[in-house]
Amino acid sequence: MNDRNLVRGLFIAAISLVFGIGALRYPIGNFERAGPGLFPLMVSCLLLLIGVVSVVRSRFVERVPLAFNPKNIAIVLASLCGFALVSEHVNMIAGIVFMVFCASFAGTGEYSVVRNLKVAAGLVAVALAFQKLLGFNLPLY
Amino acid sequence: MDILHNLAFGFEHALTWQNLLFCAIGCTVGTLVGLLPGLGPLATISILLPLTYSIPTTGALIMLAGIYYGAQYGDSVSAITMKIPHASSIVACIDGYQMTLKGKTGLALFTAGVSSFIGGTVAIVVLAFFAPLLGEVAFLFGPADYCALMLVGFVCVSFVTTGSLLQGLAMCLIGVLLGQVGTDVNSGVQRYTMDFPFLAEGIGLVSIALGCFGIAEITKNLDNKDERTPFNGKINLIPTWREFKRIIPSALRGSAVGSFLGILPGGGPVIAQFAAYAVDKKLSKYKDEIGTGAIEGVAGQAAADEAAARTSFIPLMSIGIPENAVMALMMAAFIIKGIQPGPNMIAGHPELFWGLVASMWVGNCFLLLLNVPLVRYWLSVFKIPYAVLFPSILFFCCIGTFSVNNNLDDIFITAVFGFTGYVFLRLDLDPAPLMLGFILGPMLEENFRRALLISRGSFDIFVTRPISATLLGLIGIFVLWQLTAFILQARNAAGAHRMPEVKAAPLEG
Repeated sequence: MNDRNLVRGLFIAAISLVFGIGALRYPIGNFERAGPGLFPLMVSCLLLLIGVVSVVRSRFVERVPLAFNPKNIAIVLASLCGFALVSEHVNMIAGIVFMVFCASFAGTGEYSVVRNLKVAAGLVAVALAFQKLLGFNLPLY
Repeated sequence: MDILHNLAFGFEHALTWQNLLFCAIGCTVGTLVGLLPGLGPLATISILLPLTYSIPTTGALIMLAGIYYGAQYGDSVSAITMKIPHASSIVACIDGYQMTLKGKTGLALFTAGVSSFIGGTVAIVVLAFFAPLLGEVAFLFGPADYCALMLVGFVCVSFVTTGSLLQGLAMCLIGVLLGQVGTDVNSGVQRYTMDFPFLAEGIGLVSIALGCFGIAEITKNLDNKDERTPFNGKINLIPTWREFKRIIPSALRGSAVGSFLGILPGGGPVIAQFAAYAVDKKLSKYKDEIGTGAIEGVAGQAAADEAAARTSFIPLMSIGIPENAVMALMMAAFIIKGIQPGPNMIAGHPELFWGLVASMWVGNCFLLLLNVPLVRYWLSVFKIPYAVLFPSILFFCCIGTFSVNNNLDDIFITAVFGFTGYVFLRLDLDPAPLMLGFILGPMLEENFRRALLISRGSFDIFVTRPISATLLGLIGIFVLWQLTAFILQARNAAGAHRMPEVKAAPLEG
């Protein structure tokens, strides 16, 4: 299963199935008077074809191992969602501080609270400048 | 004479204090962000797009265009000095980096700057002549022709950006499907919204762009743990007269190649660079030196790069069909500002069109003035540690997503696409065609349905109309060629496998 070409084909086929089966729920109509489901259904069929061809093709080309490192992407996504949640329930300055501290866990460098504080302060200043000078509507405080 | 008059009219608009300022800001910020590792023009434009929301339309588009070619230039600087191959400046890595190794960084940067200026200037003349002409041709286009043209764009972009037609087309189609999310304009049915009210208007373009290009790129850079060594070499910018003379012919050749390839569907800076480099390798007086750090190797491709970056505006502004992913993003920016690019744009908003054309030349001057003397200061950007940089990029992604609708929910969508973009990257699927598919998807559906309505459900309309028949014929030839190439390659590979067996047999005997 650890074959990038094969996984790619399966992934493409899976997306086409999600959209294709979804399209069947909408009226299809006919070519002269197309319903909302017709076009997505056609595109999904084409995509499914490409997915199947990719899967078949992966049997004939050399295997490439799939490299997937869940740690960094998880941290980045957590800091994004955290930013949105904290901004919604507290305010955006707290959101920025949370994001900087959370995101710094990613990467390889050593964790430095002082540096994080400096970065957060700088970004809060930028956000304030956006709000005051460029007229952005940011719920900073 | 009409053109001179129009250009003068354009300069009137481009040379107001306000627009000069926006152009300068765009070029500077674009160059700075373009210099950062892993951020090419697409990522730069998506991150900086929100900055233009609160600016008047002409100024905003001038600034965006500035960001675009600034990023393009910054990209080539990082390629020459650090050999960081971004998507858009792979060719600059070859000879440019060789020149850096020889201690001629300054000369390489000067060559790139001057050649870009020449390329840009030539392209603007081409743009001023051809865009209005092509705009008149665009009035001949019916719905079926638009469909065919978009398909040509898909095929070309897929092939050019990913090198694999199959993967690129898959990404285009996924983009088209993502563009289906939201309310269907014809029937009012909500498609794929999963009953979320914020999906009724479709997925936000900025969310997809920032997710796939911003967040996925950051994470990829975090995964590649290799340390970047800051550039500390000395720079001697001013070339000798002999060296300067070598720049000109190569830059002019590059400009011509770039201007032409920029107009074609799927064309744009990347393919223009390769073509210009190949042309120089064949025609240049110093062709034996190319590849080992020759001036020509930098000049030709830099000129082609800038020329193609500008002429790729032609199809967008005169036909209304973006021909590559960057232009698709530009089109979105036009639409956000309430301008529909297309044949009516030149007549309907002449100040916008000619102002933008003129501002490109102003931007050219800015780039030359800002970058050639100041390049050594730009390079200090490389000294910022990534631990400081990437939270800042994340912050811009958040603010950018939020400020589209002042809605925090959009950040979750960006996060979803950040993850999707990361999966794409790991599966070696290039998200650039997805962007084009996403923006063209709704237009493709609209024109497809309209064409079939006109022909009463018959597909004949696609082959009986001359324009669409020609375009579809081109696609057919291209696909056949790809198929034969693949089969031949597979057969050769199979032959190569068999060869050792044949040789081995007599040895045993």
